[in-house]
Amino acid sequence: MITLYDFELDDQCYKVRLLLSLLGLEARKIAVDMLPGAEQTRPPLLLLNPVGTLPILTDDDLVLRDAEAILAYLARRYDSGRGWLPDAPAPFGQVMMWLSFAMGPLRAASAARLQSLFDQPGDGQTLAARDALRVMDDHMTAREFAGGAWFVGDGPTLADIALFPAIALSRDCGIEHEAYPALRRWMRRVRGLPGFITMPGIPDYH
Amino acid sequence: MTGWHPVTLAAGLEPGTAEGTRLFGRELVVWRDESGQSHVWEDRCPHRGMRLSFGFVRGDRLACLYHGWQFDGAGQCRHIPSHPALTVPGTIRAPVEPSAERLGMVWTGAGPGLPPDEAAVPVRSLALRVPGERVFAALDVGKGMRSGTLVILQHGARRLAAAVQTLSETESTLHLAILGDAADHRGAGQAEISLWAEALRRTLEEA
Repeated sequence: MITLYDFELDDQCYKVRLLLSLLGLEARKIAVDMLPGAEQTRPPLLLLNPVGTLPILTDDDLVLRDAEAILAYLARRYDSGRGWLPDAPAPFGQVMMWLSFAMGPLRAASAARLQSLFDQPGDGQTLAARDALRVMDDHMTAREFAGGAWFVGDGPTLADIALFPAIALSRDCGIEHEAYPALRRWMRRVRGLPGFITMPGIPDYH
Repeated sequence: MTGWHPVTLAAGLEPGTAEGTRLFGRELVVWRDESGQSHVWEDRCPHRGMRLSFGFVRGDRLACLYHGWQFDGAGQCRHIPSHPALTVPGTIRAPVEPSAERLGMVWTGAGPGLPPDEAAVPVRSLALRVPGERVFAALDVGKGMRSGTLVILQHGARRLAAAVQTLSETESTLHLAILGDAADHRGAGQAEISLWAEALRRTLEEA
């Protein structure tokens, strides 16, 4: 039984909801008052995750924190086709590189969004977010010239899931999509995946 | 504003999509209907001022995300969902701008100076955090041929169309295409020019 401790407006929680939906997995979702309540920073949630962050996912006795770790677990455990987290060393390394990017430079986009929407700390993150999105746009531009449509390999991987929310939600902190034409085209592909779901801030008219 | 200005690469504007952009600080929506015709309008719904680039294309119409008002290619409002039986008055119109496709790019503007068309292979639209005039200077207009917002320049064996869109006083977009046929330039040629443009971006933004 999978349980997700979830906050609807959080981009990190959305990554996990998105993969659960794409994999067609049933999960119990427990709504946490992350903002403004900061419920995840107090017991009983603090006993599940001493870092005090969301998302948290449990699967029977297993307890996991951090979206990228949860994505990797769900892919290994439930994706028998091995498409979302490839076995071959090179694409595995490339997916891990982009997951690391999502946890590193791209977190500026999350910080800028939280600052903009909820007045959380994160001022001055917008330029760093634009730099990170530019790295992604340059990459997808080059991928398209080589005939590629996804961040790694010939099909969607966890890299695409981990990177999608930052650009899809960037207008929440005033970053328009005009500077990222290759990402705009790639977002349409992600939206077209069977089982794709949106969250508040991502229009679902497509 | 005079002359003609590039606003996007034609190939990147897929049928049934809309995108927002700016020209001298003015917000524009660039969209392509499902029959393939491109359009440039001011990015403002005449109803409540919502940006139409947030909306969606249905057939040959652009619909506002806010209340779903639908506008045909001439800007005329054709459907108001909250009053489905209403014949919409002819005075309700979206602000249409002149537009044309040349050299694999969508242009908007007025008067003479629209570039003549020729076969071109699109490369990319590169956002730059510098004013447009700095970009023209960096394109070495002494060697290139500048006409309005378009510079034709030689890069090795390839001839490039480099068109500069001024977004604001501090930002611009460089639209790049290789003149000639796809068979000669697609793939490796596009990648080569793209990397050259990234190097140009570093030079411009570090200066």
